[in-house]
Amino acid sequence: MSPSTAPDDPTLLVHAYLDGELDPAHALELERRFASEPALAAERDRIAALRQVIQQQLPREAPPPGLARRIEAAVGIRQASSQPSWRALAASVLVAAFVGGGASWLVLRPGPDSVADTLVAGHMRALMSSQPTDVASSDRHTVKPWFNGRIPEAPRVVDLAAEGFPLVGGRIDVIGRAPVPTLVYRHRQHLISLSAIPGGQGLATPQGQIAGYNVLSWIDNGITYWAVSDLAASDLDKFAKAFRAASP
Amino acid sequence: MSAGSDDDRARFASVVLPHLADAYALARWLTGSRADAEDVVQEACLRAFRGIGGFGGVNARAWVLTIVRHAAYSWLGKNRSAALLMVDDLEAVERRELSHGVPVDQSETPEMAMIAKADAARLEAAIALLPVPFRETLVLRDLQGLDYREIAEVTKVPIGTVMSRLARARRRLIASIGTDEPKDRS
Repeated sequence: MSPSTAPDDPTLLVHAYLDGELDPAHALELERRFASEPALAAERDRIAALRQVIQQQLPREAPPPGLARRIEAAVGIRQASSQPSWRALAASVLVAAFVGGGASWLVLRPGPDSVADTLVAGHMRALMSSQPTDVASSDRHTVKPWFNGRIPEAPRVVDLAAEGFPLVGGRIDVIGRAPVPTLVYRHRQHLISLSAIPGGQGLATPQGQIAGYNVLSWIDNGITYWAVSDLAASDLDKFAKAFRAASP
Repeated sequence: MSAGSDDDRARFASVVLPHLADAYALARWLTGSRADAEDVVQEACLRAFRGIGGFGGVNARAWVLTIVRHAAYSWLGKNRSAALLMVDDLEAVERRELSHGVPVDQSETPEMAMIAKADAARLEAAIALLPVPFRETLVLRDLQGLDYREIAEVTKVPIGTVMSRLARARRRLIASIGTDEPKDRS
């Protein structure tokens, strides 16, 4: 079938508009049509309502706990069988890092206690649990106070919805024995874990990849920020820039 | 099945395992069953392990999902061949509708409020009734968050087809959950 006929159909454009797939010029043109064509605007509202109800009602189901272990066994990656699957995954990150040895910063910061490894493991665990956050809210005035009661200093929380990175919530990760605040943002369906650690140092090279996840770190006002996501490195970079530019 | 080098295993652990949840979700929506989804994912992972050298290093998730979809189709071919037979008919319908243009249908305009109050069971049932090509497109976009280009890559169709399938999938869902009585589409 010829895709060239597709863009002529206004309803296909409405879907593309809501999915963030239209370039700005076409999006603007369509917004003008919404204003003058109530039927098209109503179609937009119905599709948006459907997308929203799907998001709310059908959270992703975690795979059964034994599945990762069985697969690892099948391909010959040995794991202690009593470990829950996210630990197995975190362990396989280390296997990958040591065997692959591709990430140069690992040479400088080796060992299972590496901050980046721990944060990637925390991000993976969050993805696999039913709830990636301990406090779920897109309102920074809800998220920041939640941290206040639990750790000495609440992190900087900014609203990046306008930049395409809505806030999902927050959680507390533990590095060594220290609680670390982690904010969770979203871009399309990709989650971004952003941890804020007072002082310390970042990645020797500020950007790297662990287990297929992009990791980005930077230091701002004495706080080391670590962003972990399966977003493309360029998008994660955009996120970091938006976060640094935003005023709290 | 532990042939393969340590390097392959390390690569598998970093490329495939992080996307296990996505793999399982897609398999479950395609097979309609948790137990069958596990079998499909396990089979897909073995295929991925054997083919790990062929991964180009760009989009691990799309690569894994492509293999899962293959495995799911093989499973459907063996166990639910009727579901795949429908695909050919559907392509014909799609072509016809596209060449005539798709009107904004005024007769079927459910209220937003009706759509918004659909519960999980009703949504799941409505999605399960979608023909496979519509269902996988919707799942990849609205449940797994792939963009159009990635969906085109995974499902091996042009972006225009992704768009029309997504539009049809959503329109069917809206029609089916936007009414008071669940509609029988079988």
